[in-house]
Amino acid sequence: MAGVGAGPLRAMWQQALLLLALCTTGSRGLYFHIGETEKRCFIEEIPDETMVIGNYRTQMWDKQKEVFLPSTPGLGMHVEVKDPDGKVVLSRQYGSEGRFTFTSHTPGDHQICLHSNSTRMALFAGGKLRVHLGIQVGEHTNNYPEIAAKDKLTELQLRARQLLDQVEQIQKEQDYQRYREERFRLTSESTNQRVLWWSIAQTVILILTGIWQMRHLKSFFEAKKLV
Amino acid sequence: MPIGVGGSHGNRRPSGGEAGGAHAWLEGAETKEVAEQDCRPRPKSLPFGGLRFFFGRSVRRSRRHLEFLQTPGFPVNHEVSKEETWSRDNSTPRLFEPEIAPAGMGDRIWLSFPVLLLAALPPELLPGAAGFTPSLDSDFTFTLPAGQKECFYQPMPLKASLEIEYQVLDGAGLDVDFHLASPEGKTLVFEQRKSDGVHTVETEVGDYMFCFDNTFSTISEKVIFFELILDNMGEQAQEQEDWKKYITGTDMLDMKLEDILESINSIKSRLSKSGHIQTLLRAFEARDRNIQESNFDRVNFWSMVNLVVMVVVSAIQVYMLKGLFEDKRKSRT
Repeated sequence: MAGVGAGPLRAMWQQALLLLALCTTGSRGLYFHIGETEKRCFIEEIPDETMVIGNYRTQMWDKQKEVFLPSTPGLGMHVEVKDPDGKVVLSRQYGSEGRFTFTSHTPGDHQICLHSNSTRMALFAGGKLRVHLGIQVGEHTNNYPEIAAKDKLTELQLRARQLLDQVEQIQKEQDYQRYREERFRLTSESTNQRVLWWSIAQTVILILTGIWQMRHLKSFFEAKKLV
Repeated sequence: MPIGVGGSHGNRRPSGGEAGGAHAWLEGAETKEVAEQDCRPRPKSLPFGGLRFFFGRSVRRSRRHLEFLQTPGFPVNHEVSKEETWSRDNSTPRLFEPEIAPAGMGDRIWLSFPVLLLAALPPELLPGAAGFTPSLDSDFTFTLPAGQKECFYQPMPLKASLEIEYQVLDGAGLDVDFHLASPEGKTLVFEQRKSDGVHTVETEVGDYMFCFDNTFSTISEKVIFFELILDNMGEQAQEQEDWKKYITGTDMLDMKLEDILESINSIKSRLSKSGHIQTLLRAFEARDRNIQESNFDRVNFWSMVNLVVMVVVSAIQVYMLKGLFEDKRKSRT
């Protein structure tokens, strides 16, 4: 951010950018810069049967105007999602603005990786791309206006539905937490066991080695008629 | 493994039952006074005392986080009947009073500050009969390779509040440099080699930048979790009105609709807070788990090294001594 420009001009384009960011759907959120061949990965630890929706928007850096272009046709991002076992769940190419969805089938760390596949960037981008990213997990993925319209719900019913979804998600997360904590406990106990047995074994080996050393040296000295 | 399996382990092995004598011998000084005050049957045999010098990380620090979790109401014991009682009786009120710490938390109460901050937010947000204003938030976990710095930007309107919380979940040392800059480039927060942190700023218009810096580490990559909680963003009221268009029909009830809606709003915000706390717990647990797995690997590795070194050293000693004496005999004659 530093070194882009000074004073009022900077404030102005920042304001413009902010306004733009606020106007476009779902992109008043976080953004970051990514280089040409750079890959950025995010980890989402989720229980199973959980839906995840990610949406992103990219902007290319214009070297001449020193500003980020509002939209960039022809620039694509490759999205790859891996499940906790390393298996690829989703691997697709999207345009400069995209939305990807996947549902987890195993609980654990899912890795969402984004990288740009465009070589055109090097030509007039100066190698910088701004990516706005938002990821929603679980009940945040539900589109309530849509659900309300489809099921013809009154306001009260809709709120009750939201609450139920929220509670369900929290409960799923808690179940997953129990499973993780159990694995954690098993690892701790196994470590502890190993520490215990190794310390005992170490002491025994030390003692045995000491005895062997003494006996061997004694017989050696006796053989050499020193003792 | 099915998710619910944790609940069926009601009959957890009592920690004292396994090789009791040897455990007493191993029990280091570090299984502190906390163990007695906790609700949870903690395996006393974790020998953090004598072996702390083997482990580069501050194992003690992770224990403090575990203590934070031991406030009553968290379902940390595995006996099935106890869990069910918990969910039926003590649930909601307890979950939202994390400020009440058990005696003995003492100076570690500062750990409940992230939760306090979260607890403090929703009461302000609970409106009257109109809509409810959920706080916008997003959390991300990413891997920061060794020797690199990664920055994120968040556009903010005027007079909103930006809260950022981060934790290092994995990576030797469990620390990272953190830097938060205002839209003008002024440094608001600069922390070096911290393992976690929480910062709240009242914002001006512009893009706030925050960076995680791992340049001080040449070999270990860090897994960093951060959460952004944005309040008073201003467009929320707009959203509430938007989806009111999609609902159909009216409700005919004895009670005033506004009262029901108000209590529903309250429930929703509390559930959001529950969700936030869960995210927090998840990050703590992930970090503890990573520490343990790393301990496990280290124990295995160093035990093997130890064994090999011992055998080799004893052999060298013996043969060197033998060699010394044989040379003397030759020089004498």
